[in-house]
Amino acid sequence: MQTKMKESDPILEVENLFASTDNLPILKGVSLTVYPGEIHAIMGRNGCGKSTLSKIIAGHPSYNITNGDIKFSGENINSLEPEERSQSGIFLGFQYPIEIPGVSNLEFLRVSTNARRKFLNKEELDTFDFEELVKEKLELVKMDQAFLSRSVNQGFSGGEKKRNEILQMALLEPKIAILDETDSGLDIDALRIVASGIKKISNAQTGIILITHYQRLLDEIEPTYVHVMADGQIIKTGGSDLALELEKKGYEWTDNFVKET
Amino acid sequence: MEIIEKLKTNKLIDNQTEIQKICLHKLQSSPLPNPKSELWRLSNKSKFSNFLNYSVNEKNPKFDIPYPENSQGTIRLIIGENCQIKLIKENYSIQQLNESELNKYIKEQIACFDQNENWSDLLNLSLSSTKNLLGLKINGSKIPPIEIFSHASSNSLNAKTLVIFLEKNCDIELLQVNLGKENSSLSQSTFFLLEENSSVNHGVVSYGENRSNLLNSLNVIQQKNTEYNLGSLHFKFNYARFEISIKQSAGNAKTNIKGMQITKKDEQISTYTKIDFNGPNGFLDQINKSLADDKSHAIFEGSIIVPKIAQRTDASQLSRNLLLSNLAQIDTKPQLEIIADDVKCKHGATISQLNEEELFYMRTRGVTLQEASKLQLSSYFQEIISFIPISKDRWDLLDKLLNEN
Amino acid sequence: MVNENLVKDVVKEPYKYGFVTDIETEKIAKGLNEDIIRLISQKKEEPKYLLDFRLKAFKKWQKMDEPDWAGLGYKQIDYQDIIYYSAPKQKEKISSLDEVDPKLLETFDKLGIPLTEQKKLTNVAVDAVFDSVSIATTFREELAEHGVIFCSISEAVKNHSDLIEKYLGTVVPASDNYFAALNSAVFSDGSFVYIPKGVTCPMDLSSYFRINSGDSGQFERTLIIAEESSSVSYLEGCTAPMFDTNTLHAAVVELIALDDASIKYSTVQNWYAGDEEGVGGIFNFVTKRGKCLGKRSKISWSQVETGSAITWKYPSCLLLGEESVGEFYSVALTNNLQQADTGTKMIHIGPKTKSTIVSKGISAGNSINSYRGLVKMGTKAAGSRNYSQCDSMLIGDQASANTFPYIKSQQPNSEIEHEASTCRISEDQLFYLQSRGIEFEEAVSMMVSGFCRDVFNQLPMEFAAEADKLLALKLEGSVG
Repeated sequence: MQTKMKESDPILEVENLFASTDNLPILKGVSLTVYPGEIHAIMGRNGCGKSTLSKIIAGHPSYNITNGDIKFSGENINSLEPEERSQSGIFLGFQYPIEIPGVSNLEFLRVSTNARRKFLNKEELDTFDFEELVKEKLELVKMDQAFLSRSVNQGFSGGEKKRNEILQMALLEPKIAILDETDSGLDIDALRIVASGIKKISNAQTGIILITHYQRLLDEIEPTYVHVMADGQIIKTGGSDLALELEKKGYEWTDNFVKET
Repeated sequence: MEIIEKLKTNKLIDNQTEIQKICLHKLQSSPLPNPKSELWRLSNKSKFSNFLNYSVNEKNPKFDIPYPENSQGTIRLIIGENCQIKLIKENYSIQQLNESELNKYIKEQIACFDQNENWSDLLNLSLSSTKNLLGLKINGSKIPPIEIFSHASSNSLNAKTLVIFLEKNCDIELLQVNLGKENSSLSQSTFFLLEENSSVNHGVVSYGENRSNLLNSLNVIQQKNTEYNLGSLHFKFNYARFEISIKQSAGNAKTNIKGMQITKKDEQISTYTKIDFNGPNGFLDQINKSLADDKSHAIFEGSIIVPKIAQRTDASQLSRNLLLSNLAQIDTKPQLEIIADDVKCKHGATISQLNEEELFYMRTRGVTLQEASKLQLSSYFQEIISFIPISKDRWDLLDKLLNEN
Repeated sequence: MVNENLVKDVVKEPYKYGFVTDIETEKIAKGLNEDIIRLISQKKEEPKYLLDFRLKAFKKWQKMDEPDWAGLGYKQIDYQDIIYYSAPKQKEKISSLDEVDPKLLETFDKLGIPLTEQKKLTNVAVDAVFDSVSIATTFREELAEHGVIFCSISEAVKNHSDLIEKYLGTVVPASDNYFAALNSAVFSDGSFVYIPKGVTCPMDLSSYFRINSGDSGQFERTLIIAEESSSVSYLEGCTAPMFDTNTLHAAVVELIALDDASIKYSTVQNWYAGDEEGVGGIFNFVTKRGKCLGKRSKISWSQVETGSAITWKYPSCLLLGEESVGEFYSVALTNNLQQADTGTKMIHIGPKTKSTIVSKGISAGNSINSYRGLVKMGTKAAGSRNYSQCDSMLIGDQASANTFPYIKSQQPNSEIEHEASTCRISEDQLFYLQSRGIEFEEAVSMMVSGFCRDVFNQLPMEFAAEADKLLALKLEGSVG
C-alpha cells in the first residue's frame, strides 16, 4: 500500500504481528510501517485491538507475541524491556494514565528524562537544571507548576492526566510517539492544547501514531495515513479523507471490509 | 520445660527482686507460651528457642549511636547506661519514678497478665534487673523530644524495661530505638500510661544485625481524651515479635497506628496488636504493612475488641502486604469482635506484589524495573516512616531501608 | 427510640415447622460402639469396604478431641445418649410412592414439599429424607433419561457401588475433623448425585432433610459428582420439630467437579433454633467441602442460615484444577441465644484459580454471629485471585458480631483482598423510610434484605423468595 519510494529508513516496522494475552489471540496479523515525518491514525471500534497494538509496541509484559516482528530503526525489539524501548525513543501516551500514589511527579519526570538522556549520551540533569527544563515544557501544555509537586497523576482530572502525558512526551523527545486515545475525555479547549503540544513536539524526524475513535483530533492534526482496524487486523488504509468518510458512514460501513477480507 | 531450663542455666541474678521472683514463678507454672494459642502458633519454634540460647549479660557494652545526637535539646536516655534523670525545669519536669511507685504499678500490671498474651512481659520482668528498669514520670508543657535506646550486645540476652507515666495535659514526642547486635537477643517491655488530656507521638524503630532476636512488647493505657500515635518499624531480625496492647480505659480516646515490618533471608518478624475499647466514642485508625522477600515470613494479627460499653466506636484496621518472592510467606489475620451495635468498624487486608501496571507505566518512561520498584517501595515505606517522630529530621530511615533492599 | 415491646411480640412468632409426626419408628439402642456401627451397616446391607470405612473412622474419632477453637458455648454432648439410627417403619421394599406411609407424605406436604405425582413440584426433583432414611425421590425416570443419577446414598451404595468406593471420603477424609469422623462412622442416609459427561442437569435437584425424632441424631452424607463439562444446581432444605432437648446434626457434604464442570449448591437452613431462653434447638455441626479437580471447574456455595441453636459450618473449596473457581455467598442470621460460627475456606492450589467470598451476618437479640474464614494461596497458585467481603449488621446492643478472616499467601504472583465492615440499621434510615409511609416492620425488613441483596442474587429463584420471607419472619420486631 505504501508504495512510493521513501528517502529515509523507516522508524517503525510492524510485520505480520500476532499476539495474545492469557491464550486469547488479540492481534491477528498486523503490518504497519512508519517513516520519519509521518502521522498515522489508527481507528476502529472498541476491542478491535488498537490499544493492544500500542501496548505491545511499548512492551507490556501481559501480552505474548506469537508470530511476527516489531522493528525499531531497523532493529528487532521483540525481546526488549519496556524501559529499553522508552530509552531508545518509543513513547506510549496512555489512554488511562496510571496513578502512582506517593511518587512525586517531578522526581518521576526527572528520573525518566535522565534515563533517556543517558541513552542519548547527553548529560544528566540535576534537580535545578531539570526544573528549568520542565518549566519551559510546561508552557507547551499550559500546565501549572503545582502539578510537579503532586504524586504522579494522583487526583488529576482527565484533562490534566492527558496533558501530563504530553509533557512527558515533550521531555523524552521520542522518535516515535504512539498516542492511545489521547483525545478521549477532553473538552474542546483541552483538545486544542494537547493537539498543539503534539504538533510542536513532532518534526520531520519523528513519527506519530494516533489511536482514536473520532475525527475531531484529526481535524487538529492531519494524518498522513488512516488505518481502520477490526478483529485484530488492519482492514483498510487510506489518506486523511478515509477518516472523514468513516465519520460520515460510521463503523457499520467498515464491517463490509471485514467480509471482503 | 526446656525454656525454663534454659532460663535457670542462665545464671539468674542471685539477689532477685520481688518482681523477678513473681514473674519467674508465673513462668514456671506455665513455662511455654502455648503453641496451640493463636498468638504463638505461627512462631517458628527453632528460632524462638534460639532466643534463649544466650546468657543474660548484665554488663552493658559500649553503645553505638545509630545517628548523631542533635544539639537542639533532645533528651537522650540509654536504658542500662545512663538512666539517672531528674530534670525539673520551669515549665516541665522529667524524673525517675521512685521504687515503690514503680513496683506498685508493675505489680498491678502483672496481676492482669494473661499467660499467653503477656508471656513476653513475664519473661522480660523476670530477667530485667533494677539497673535495666527505667521508670519515668513526665509532666508540664513544651517538653523537649525524648529518645530512649535499648540494645543487646553480641552473644548475650539483654532485658530492658521502660515504664512511663505521662501526667495530665502533657504532649510529648518519644522515639524508642531497639538495637540488636550480631547473635543477640533483646527483650524489651514498655508500659505506657497516658493520663487524661495527654498526647504522644511515639516512634518505635527496631533493627538488628546478623541473627539478632527481639521480643518487643508495648502496653499502653489511654485515659479519657488522650491521643496516642504510634509509628513503628521492625527489620533485620532473625526472629522478632512486636506485641502491642492498647487499652482505651474509659473510651473517648484516639489511637493512630502505622507500623511496618520488613523480612528478608530466612527472617521471621511478626506483629500482634490488640486494641481494647473499654468505653464509648473510641477512635482507631491502624495500618500495618509487611514486606516479605527471599525465604522470609511476615505475620500480622490484629484484634479489635468492642464490648457493649464501647458505643460509637469508630475503628478501622488495614493490613497491606507485599510478597516479593516465591519462597517467602505472609500470614495476616485482622479480627473484629464486636458487641456494641452503634459502631463503625471496618478492616481490610491485601496481599499482592508491586503493582504491575504502575511498574509498566514507569518503564515506558525509561525508568528501569529496578528503579521503578524502588520508587514504589519508597512510597510504600514513606507513609509509615513519615509517621515516626523525631527521626525524620536527622535520620534518613528511608535511605537506610532502600539501601538494605 | 424503637418500641421494645414490638420487638418481643414478633420474636414470639412461632416456628411453623415445629410439629412432630406421630409415626411408628424403628430405632436402635442409644449409644455408640463398634457393634452399633456394624448394626447400622448391616441394616443397610452394605458391602465390606463401607463397613471398614466406618470402623476406621470410628477408631479415629475415638482418638480425637471435640474442637473448642470456635469458642462456642454449649453443654457437653453425651455421645452415648444419642440414637444413631431411626427410621419410620415401612414395608421392606417400596416399589412406588403409593406404598409410602401416608403420614410421611402428609408431613412433607405440610412442609411445603409435596411428593406425590399429582402435587409434586414441577421444576425440582426432590429427595426427601426423614430422620435416618430417604423416603422418596421424585422425577427419577426423567432424570435417568439424561443419565443423571439422583437417589439416596444407601441406594447408590447398592446400585452404583463403584462410584461410591471411588469418591466417598476423598474430599472430606474421615480424619478431617471430629464431626466428620463421627459422621463417617455412623452416617445413615443422604443424597447422591451423578451428572455424566457433557450433561446439563435438566432441572434443579433438591434434598429435604427432616429431623422428627427427638433423641436421635441426624448424620446424613451427600456426595455430588459432576463429570467433565456437566453442570447441576442442587438445593438443600432442613427443618425439625421443637423439642426442649438439643439434637445433634453432623452432616458431611462432598462435591467433586471435573474439567469444565460446575456445581451450585444452595442451602436454606431453618432447623429449630431453640426458644428465646435458648432451650432446645439443633446443634448443626457440618462439614461441607468441594473439590475443583478439573480445569476450569467451578463450585459455588450459597447459604442462608437462619436456624439451629448452634451452627458450626464452613463450606469450602479446594481449587486444584487450573483456572478453577470457588464461590461462597452466605447470609447468617442469629437471634435470641443462637450462636453461628460460619465461613469458608478457599484453598488455592492450582494456577490461575479464583475465589469470591461474600458473607453477610446479621445478629440480633443476645446472639453471637461469627465469620471465620481462611484464604490460602499455595506455592503453585500463580496468577490466582481472591476477593472477600464480610459485612455484619448488629441489631440491639446485646448481640455480637465477630470477624476472623485468616489469610495466608506463599505465592507472590497472586492477589488477596479482604474487606469487612460492621453497621447497624440507623434510626435516621428507619425514620426516613417511615416518613415515606413505610411500616416499621416493613422498613426493617427492606433494610435487611437490601443488606443481603448480593447473596440473594446468587440463590435459585424460588429459594431467593423463600429466603427473603424467612428473614423477614425471623427478624420481625427484633429491632430495639
